[in-house]
Amino acid sequence: MAKRQRTIVGENLTPTLLTELGAVDKFPRTPANFQPNGNWMNKYRIWTCHGYRESGNENVGSLRITRRVDSKKTFVLEVRQEIVQTGGLTNVIEGTIKCRYDQLASPIEWNLLSQFSGPSGKIISELGFRNHGVAAESVTHTAGDWCLFEAVQRLAFDKKSSLSFDLLEGMSLSKLGHRLFYRRTYPMKTDGQSIHLHCFGQLGSGILPYEYWLDNRHRLLAVISMNKAYVLDQ
Amino acid sequence: MKLGGAAVALVADGTLTKRAFAGRKDRKPKPGNILLIYTDQQHIDTIAAGGCRHVRTPALDRLKRSSVSFAQSYSANPVCSPARSAVFTGRTSCETSVYKNGIPIRSDIPNIGQWFSQHTDYETFYAGKWHLPKTYTSKIPGFKVINTGIGGFGYLCDTAMSRACEGFIENRSKSKPFLLVASFMQPHDICEWLRLNMNNPGKLRYPELAGELPELPENFQFDKNEPQSTGKRRSGNEPFKGNWDKEHWQYYRWSYYRHIEHLDAEIGRILSALEDRGYINDTLIVLTSDHGEGMGHHQMVRKSSFYDEAAKVPLLFSWPGHIVEDKADTVHLTSGMDIMPTLCDYASINSPPRMRGVTLRPILEGGSGQSRDCIVSEGNTNTGRMVRTREFKYIKYVNDPVEQLFNMEDDPGETRNLAADLHYAAALSEHRKLLAGHEASLDVPRDIPHTEFWRTRA
Repeated sequence: MAKRQRTIVGENLTPTLLTELGAVDKFPRTPANFQPNGNWMNKYRIWTCHGYRESGNENVGSLRITRRVDSKKTFVLEVRQEIVQTGGLTNVIEGTIKCRYDQLASPIEWNLLSQFSGPSGKIISELGFRNHGVAAESVTHTAGDWCLFEAVQRLAFDKKSSLSFDLLEGMSLSKLGHRLFYRRTYPMKTDGQSIHLHCFGQLGSGILPYEYWLDNRHRLLAVISMNKAYVLDQ
Repeated sequence: MKLGGAAVALVADGTLTKRAFAGRKDRKPKPGNILLIYTDQQHIDTIAAGGCRHVRTPALDRLKRSSVSFAQSYSANPVCSPARSAVFTGRTSCETSVYKNGIPIRSDIPNIGQWFSQHTDYETFYAGKWHLPKTYTSKIPGFKVINTGIGGFGYLCDTAMSRACEGFIENRSKSKPFLLVASFMQPHDICEWLRLNMNNPGKLRYPELAGELPELPENFQFDKNEPQSTGKRRSGNEPFKGNWDKEHWQYYRWSYYRHIEHLDAEIGRILSALEDRGYINDTLIVLTSDHGEGMGHHQMVRKSSFYDEAAKVPLLFSWPGHIVEDKADTVHLTSGMDIMPTLCDYASINSPPRMRGVTLRPILEGGSGQSRDCIVSEGNTNTGRMVRTREFKYIKYVNDPVEQLFNMEDDPGETRNLAADLHYAAALSEHRKLLAGHEASLDVPRDIPHTEFWRTRA
């Protein structure tokens, strides 16, 4: 039997490459009333790349983040992440994160529930886990990874835009020594028109570099880290 | 619905406070629970507390400080499925029939889940990568699978898997002991990294990292007169296809360490769950990997090499109050095959017949333990053998006239092949005999490729 030919991607994923690999058809147009510091909902498809052009790349879940303003100094992020595993097992993490209205969207208090369901959709109660956390008053310079999806939309497209912080991944794992910084503009064609995207980078312990890609209206269209991409669907 | 959970508080230094733990003071010869943490493609020198200065690994540090860790620990076969078959059975990979990836363990050899289910009161659970033969599956003989993982993507797979283990530990009744295998995909994602970074970009992708990249290893150069299969493997890998320069090699090493840190955090989630639930002092924890990672030593990446970087694996055992704490054992040679008999020993049961591994319990508890002459590792598709004695390493491939002999005390980087040096003729002959003796003792099915080649060396 002839060996299947596969082409190694060879380079880091970008929005253009996501289009070439079939992960993106077109990015949704940002609504006229979109305000990064207002109420909004972004839903991302989670797409993974095995490193070949022809095969092994797939959607494995979704992430929905809803921002709700609840005071002048705080807002609430409603988060729902779904990861589909082999054999129809699904992990859903759902809950709320109350954040300070500061540059990092610093978490104040969070309530999250992790649950697994089997192929039939029935919840596997033995694997559920509730995570309730409160940040002490003394906590500064800490950001949640989901919170950064919000915070990055409020940053200026400027080389001076940089943040230093410790990461609280999944609101449960502490990863120290992170920085987020503006990288560049990036021309691409989508939906028959030429647009300029803006890219922020994130480096730090416990992660491969993250890149946040935003449109001119500051809406976050894609987040890419090595072999995974969050692609805005709606 | 019953749900486990933990109240946590984030404090100023970025760490999470945990509930206080009330440890048990009574000594028992048999651990209440057993946790086997199995990683994929973890180089042995990737723990900060073990001296690696390029990573932050608080969870592995903590585990290492409560463990005996073996510095001369070798994979039984530095390829995924074969290595796994040896760990889960205590037999050589060829004996289990798993001479390459994607083959099931032969049906008359029990895996640890089957053996424990039959002979102990431990309930046996499995989470994550299996690869015998299916990489991810909900059906593993002898185990109840609590989480299947996701094919190929450790970054997402391991997070979901460790969350399942966290929930399992939090919700489980304490009335019955468990054996839980938490089998991680990371840091195997470095394989995807290699494919997504094959082409040398000609400049550092993140200038912000200038000055932070790890140096190249001292044994970065390689011997041009190596066995053919080693050279062929190297030239087929991404660094040579993509014409890497020094900086890109360094960036690869930097990236590998980030994968390790991701793994560390997920391991930390499970360890914290054990601690929060009050299990930590009554749980025997074992950590090992299927194989190592080339990391640029000899300009190799990935696995399937007998050089120490791919052939060695971390091996840690922890059971507070029973196993010596914070001890790095640099003396004893160990193999992945030792895990099965060691766990059987701790479970107070006999091992299955024809174990090739040995129990490490006497060493773990401060005794002198067995003193092996050598260990033997097998190679992918049954085409190679590595014999490691205290002083030397001998490597032989099928139908390749080039043999390798390294003095591991004088040349731990394996840079000077002594096989053709007449001064070492006696050592070479001795190692050939050790291999022959080993092969003569095995029970390898005749349909395994190259069985006759190795048998006739006996």
